[in-house]
Amino acid sequence: MTAPATLKRRLALAAFALPVLVYPLAFSGGYPVGVGIVAGAMAASAVGFVLLIGYAHQLAFGQAGFLMVGGYTSAILCVRWHADPFVAMVIGALIAMAIAYVIGRPIMKLRGFVLAMASMAMQFVFIVLATESDYAGGALGTQGVPKFAVLGIPVASDTAFYYVTWAVAFACIAVGLAIDRSRIGRALKAIAASETAAAAAGIDILKYKVQMFVVSAGMASVAGSLGAHYLRAMDPNVYGFAYSLNLLTAVIIGGLTSIWGGALGAAAITGLRELLRSLSLPLWEAVIMGTLTVVVLIAFPRGLAGAVGALFDRLASGARKARAATAAPDPAALAPLSGLPPAGSVMLDVAGARRAFGNLRAVNDVSFTVETGSIVALIGPNGAGKTTLFNLIGGSQPLDGGSVTLAGERIEALLPNEIAQRAVARTFQGLELFDTMTVLENVMCGRHRLAAAGLAAVALRLPRVAAEDEEARRAARAALAFVGLAGAEDMTPGALAFGHQRLVEVARALALEPKLLLMDEPASGLNDTETERLAELILRIAALGVTVLLVEHDMRMVMGIADRIVVMHHGEKIADGPADDVRAHPEVIAAYLGQEKP
Amino acid sequence: MDLQVFSQLLLPGLTTGCVYALVALGFVLTANVSGVVNFAQGEYVMLGGVVAAALAGEGVPLALAAAAATAVGAALAAAQERLTLAPVRQAPHFIRITITLGVAVVLRGLALILFGKDPLFLPGFSGDGVFTLLGAVLPLQSLWVWLATAVLLAATFWLLHFTDTGRAIRACAINLPAARLMGVDAGRLTLIVFALAGGTGALAGVVITPIVLANWDAGLAYGIKGFIGAILGGFRSPLVAVLGGLGIGVVESLAAGYVSSGYKDAIVYGVLIAYLLVRGGVFLAGRAALARGAE
Repeated sequence: MTAPATLKRRLALAAFALPVLVYPLAFSGGYPVGVGIVAGAMAASAVGFVLLIGYAHQLAFGQAGFLMVGGYTSAILCVRWHADPFVAMVIGALIAMAIAYVIGRPIMKLRGFVLAMASMAMQFVFIVLATESDYAGGALGTQGVPKFAVLGIPVASDTAFYYVTWAVAFACIAVGLAIDRSRIGRALKAIAASETAAAAAGIDILKYKVQMFVVSAGMASVAGSLGAHYLRAMDPNVYGFAYSLNLLTAVIIGGLTSIWGGALGAAAITGLRELLRSLSLPLWEAVIMGTLTVVVLIAFPRGLAGAVGALFDRLASGARKARAATAAPDPAALAPLSGLPPAGSVMLDVAGARRAFGNLRAVNDVSFTVETGSIVALIGPNGAGKTTLFNLIGGSQPLDGGSVTLAGERIEALLPNEIAQRAVARTFQGLELFDTMTVLENVMCGRHRLAAAGLAAVALRLPRVAAEDEEARRAARAALAFVGLAGAEDMTPGALAFGHQRLVEVARALALEPKLLLMDEPASGLNDTETERLAELILRIAALGVTVLLVEHDMRMVMGIADRIVVMHHGEKIADGPADDVRAHPEVIAAYLGQEKP
Repeated sequence: MDLQVFSQLLLPGLTTGCVYALVALGFVLTANVSGVVNFAQGEYVMLGGVVAAALAGEGVPLALAAAAATAVGAALAAAQERLTLAPVRQAPHFIRITITLGVAVVLRGLALILFGKDPLFLPGFSGDGVFTLLGAVLPLQSLWVWLATAVLLAATFWLLHFTDTGRAIRACAINLPAARLMGVDAGRLTLIVFALAGGTGALAGVVITPIVLANWDAGLAYGIKGFIGAILGGFRSPLVAVLGGLGIGVVESLAAGYVSSGYKDAIVYGVLIAYLLVRGGVFLAGRAALARGAE
């Protein structure tokens, strides 16, 4: 990590922690401290909400439902079962997370807005259940919730509870920051930028979306528990629809793209509500919150935290001018792959592949094999079905019939990320880079399948997470050096020339340590010199032991490098063999010169 | 089963279902043309009700109040599209949806400030009498609700199938990018469908108010229940959305009658969640579920 980023993190921590620490000292307990407690609880839930909305791009408009789960679990366990408040809070969080998992996994497969509405429906179901349940105290709720305590140690004063609440909030922030910096954070940013490319890098999109829903539910539940102990009661209206909206407004104002944004927004919204109350304008709350939501989303989608971050970057940018990315390729940067199947064995076997769109047979009964260690080119005129065939192999479209076998394993029913997990990498004809990350982070995403750190390990900041990250960084640098982009690590892809952006994609694919590399028209958009360099790069990739299958539009580039060429026309294979044979094939000539087939 | 009790539940269910059906139709039309699910859809029903009731309360003739309320709904929905969605057409999907929720909150808040907390009353269009049908005793206003719904549905389907604008709207539903490439002016169409959806929603709110009163916070429930109808049709088919909306009204009424009125919303929303879980492939894994989920 570069020095400005570390400095930025420390400054953010100091800028936020100091006011939080000092705040209660300005008051001798009483109402203002209570407001601080409310803000702290909201901050805890807002951090999870930022992860869900800002990182996973999933909307949940009934998030307060999970605060109800925590609040009611704590209230009921503490009042009826005399449980320890801390234990009750943990149990509440576990229940909320379980509910989120059960609901989230199927619903997140549906379109984006469905979760938004489903979570709202869920919250209303919770409100009705709480209102109608005598056990939970009906409309009056559960009264007499004890003061908070941690494993028998009571938290007696409001000031002490204030610090406990904010300690929980900072724990949530710490978890959020750990996720942000980890492979999971990179995976989420990759998904937000391009789901296609994320899946091709081996990222399980659904898994990470569901994980963020579960994390956000847990943090919301904890906030709900703290709130119940502060209010000393829990009723169905505490966390109603208005709370869901305030939480949403808080993360939008604070900044959806920053973990700090959640906490910042929670403090701002709580302050704003108190201001309205002191001005006797509580009726205006909804109008003001709604207006803020709309205006900020339209005009400042990155919120307060984004504005502060941009200001910092502007001040710090003088110190680090981006260097030009013109280092010579370093062929020794990557070591040859080991553990590959023997050369000459079949790496990829496509048999009878079929795919139709309505009446159009895009791929019609195509069979071919790719030998381990070879370079095979799939060529054909526009509309021949090359890219469709590629999508069938890479799993981004289902086959209507036929099979795809990778090193002896059938893969045609697998999803793109599952195929990538089996060491198949791909590049795209239209570039699919993750614009919100640096070049280095883009390439690190390619390492996704080679690291194992899960959510729990990341959240707990286990040492092996840092070790894995260091290894991913090293490998990504090596891949960049191999393609000739050493020095461009800290730039954003958008700042690079088109040809260099293509190399970033190749580096990302190589970082995956692929045994099979699928390249979709890698030369498109490149000039002659760049195309020559690309051909040379492909030969060097093959020399590492990587099997290469590339789609090309025109024959020139591939003639020199391909061991074998498969020619498609109108969805069917018309020729298959060494370059010279294919070049002389009458049907190929006819297809390319636009003559009618005999 | 007592048939009279059944029809006493079924027919009022169909009446509220009419409102849900119109909301569902609005959802489908706006979503298909703009690509955004408008979470403020239900608020226009609420606005129609409170505006008409408030005007009538001030002595404005009923017909004029109804027309004014409908115009307010259409105008506000058009303004919503121009001011809050047109400027951010390139923004990520989740941002645009959240903006519509923000608008919904503003509309609710304004209704609360302008019209107050208490439910507003609007007299029945043909008085507050009742009539008997299939053994059920119903307010005369039910006939107005059915009539208005039938007219609005007929007009909408005529528009969709027999006008160029309607054909363009349907083309958007089938393939939005392709429709745009074929020269469909999506900006103009979006404005039209938003105004249409806002106006029909508001009119639905006007005709139902004599039966259920008008409340500043009723929009959300109309929105969610209309949404259920829309999602039953996969946000594609206007017809299924309408039938779905009617069905939700019936289910809600039956649940209130046979189970408990306290639980009726929980039952309807629970059914929604269960349906989504099944649709999302709670019993399926991998590609099959994804393929289903992607429609």
